Amino acid sequence: MINTLREILEAALDRLHHQVTTYLPSTLAAVILLLVAYALATAARWFIYRVFKGMTIDKFLRQSGVAFLLDRSGRLRATRLVAETVYWAILIGGFLIAVSAFDTQLTNQMVEGFVLLLPKLVVAGLILLAGAWLSQYLGRSMLVWAVNENLPSPRRLAAALRIIIMFVAVVVAADQLSFARNVFLAAFIILVGGAVLAVSLAVGIAGSQGLRRLIEERKEQRESEGERSLWTHL
Amino acid sequence: MASITLPHEARQAAEVIRRADIVIGIPSYNNGRTIGRVVQAAYAGLAKYFPQFTSVVINSDGGSTDNTREAVLSARLEDQHLLLLNTPLFAAHRLSFPYHGVPGKGSAFRLIFQLAARLEAKAVAVVDSDLRSITPEWFDLLLRPVLFAGYDFVAPYYHRHKYDGTITNSIVYPLTRALYGYRVRQPIGGEFGLSTRLINRYLQRDDWETDVARFGIDIWMTTIALAEGFRVCQSFLGAKLHDAKDPSSDLTAMLEQVVGSVLMLMQEYESVWWDREGSRPVELFGFRYDVGLDPIEVHVERMLAAFVRGCRDLGEIWAVALEPETYAGIQALGRQAAAGVRDFHFDDELWARVVLDFACAYNKHRVAGGHLIRSLTPLYLARVASFVGETRTLVPDQVEDKIEQLCLAFERLKPYLKAHWDGPGARNRGSRKPERAATPRPGSEVTGND
Repeated sequence: MINTLREILEAALDRLHHQVTTYLPSTLAAVILLLVAYALATAARWFIYRVFKGMTIDKFLRQSGVAFLLDRSGRLRATRLVAETVYWAILIGGFLIAVSAFDTQLTNQMVEGFVLLLPKLVVAGLILLAGAWLSQYLGRSMLVWAVNENLPSPRRLAAALRIIIMFVAVVVAADQLSFARNVFLAAFIILVGGAVLAVSLAVGIAGSQGLRRLIEERKEQRESEGERSLWTHL
Repeated sequence: MASITLPHEARQAAEVIRRADIVIGIPSYNNGRTIGRVVQAAYAGLAKYFPQFTSVVINSDGGSTDNTREAVLSARLEDQHLLLLNTPLFAAHRLSFPYHGVPGKGSAFRLIFQLAARLEAKAVAVVDSDLRSITPEWFDLLLRPVLFAGYDFVAPYYHRHKYDGTITNSIVYPLTRALYGYRVRQPIGGEFGLSTRLINRYLQRDDWETDVARFGIDIWMTTIALAEGFRVCQSFLGAKLHDAKDPSSDLTAMLEQVVGSVLMLMQEYESVWWDREGSRPVELFGFRYDVGLDPIEVHVERMLAAFVRGCRDLGEIWAVALEPETYAGIQALGRQAAAGVRDFHFDDELWARVVLDFACAYNKHRVAGGHLIRSLTPLYLARVASFVGETRTLVPDQVEDKIEQLCLAFERLKPYLKAHWDGPGARNRGSRKPERAATPRPGSEVTGND
């Protein structure tokens, strides 16, 4: 009995010893790699903040409206963008190297999978960013136009347009990542088809009278404006 | 220098005529009803005041579908029964061409200027084709300061109805005056006298394909003349009566083109306006007299309804474009308008802040330029509604005093503009000399008043 107990304890200690001798150096190496990566990332960020100016990128960010899209204050500058990108790239790179220090099948698969996925992630991120920019731009175009043309519910029209554009961007990004491709595609077809059907029915059944009234009102309004022929803005 | 591509028939005509001392340019688009009279006035003006000069009247047409071009080519001076003391030495040529490129007044002017440069004209006058109050004297008043007094740019000065020219009175005149320091009362009047030097400068620029090609052309011409130190004066032309060319349905596009051009040039000439303070009068030629003006009906309720709609729906743009204090003021005004307050009042200073905030937001690209300026329409309509209400019982001189007060508010707020402007000038904060100072010298042979 005592011998059996001793054997079990010795086996457990052996396993522990084996695991410690197997994984502790790897863990320590991983921690050291992470710390080095963190230090490198921080140093690189500090250096870029002081050296890199990127005025052309600044101009692009401002003029395209991306600066205000990513940062509501509009203070986003190329220096910050580049510094933060480099910082996170080094951190992620350090993390992957740290994980690969374990040299197990699981960690190797993780690293390999991440490396293969990374370009797709970047492209998907850019697609979402472009979608966000486009939805804001076209949404605002719709909003301002609808207000100035005195159309009903301008904010709803703009919001609907934004949702559709963002949804398309999400579908494309998901397709890029091969993530629930069929689900998104089916949802997209159902949504667009449903929307078109709903609009057709609404205009065809209930909206025709209203639309006619709206067109007549606008025609009358324009005619009455034409009568005051001498009022000019310029 | 922008490429100059004259249409084939225009080039042929220029080769035949070879030289002309004076060019009169008339842009048109479906103005068959009025353009004949404008051409007659041009012929009479040339015969009466400039008989010793060779001259050409050029109609630059935007593809009219009525009889505009036929009206130009068939208008005859004899019809007017003028008593001429001098027989013109040279018959004035007349040409009518369709222009190419972006449809708009600016593109029409470009063709006229290109032809004028090709013909080595000493002076150019441009007039709108929808004028009903034009007389031969207008051409004398627009051309004489250029031909005999060395001015480069002659801006018009008219009597207009108090509700006429509201973009001029509420935005363009006060802002241009506060920025460049010169009181050119009708900076987008539409009728101008120009020297060869200035024409050549215009043709050197490469921004003809922007809003300048359309309604932005007038303020573009005036601003370049003021900012680059050309000699500028004004001529009193009497009353301006013209056909409708800008019903409210086009208001947003027109506002976008005019204000867009003002703001684009504001960025370009930042170093010029940065250190200019206050304003000075610009010499005014011609004998001033009072005229009767047709009454104008305006619909204040419709304008206020547009403003209330804007307050309700455009918050996401205005909140970004306007400074928090200005936006709070607008929201308070919106509540008043929605409640149907009888004496709706849009304060001068608040309006000036709105315009200056929009200029700063445009410069900082807080919102896409087109969205920003198009979202100004409801605010502009509110300001016009307030102006109409406040001036309903006022006589023209009192109305002019009101506009003067607005201009002074803009001038007072120039430090505010500089504080919120984000550009090289704002970053350097240093006092820099303007590139060239516009300092009109007194005329020599032309009598000035004012």
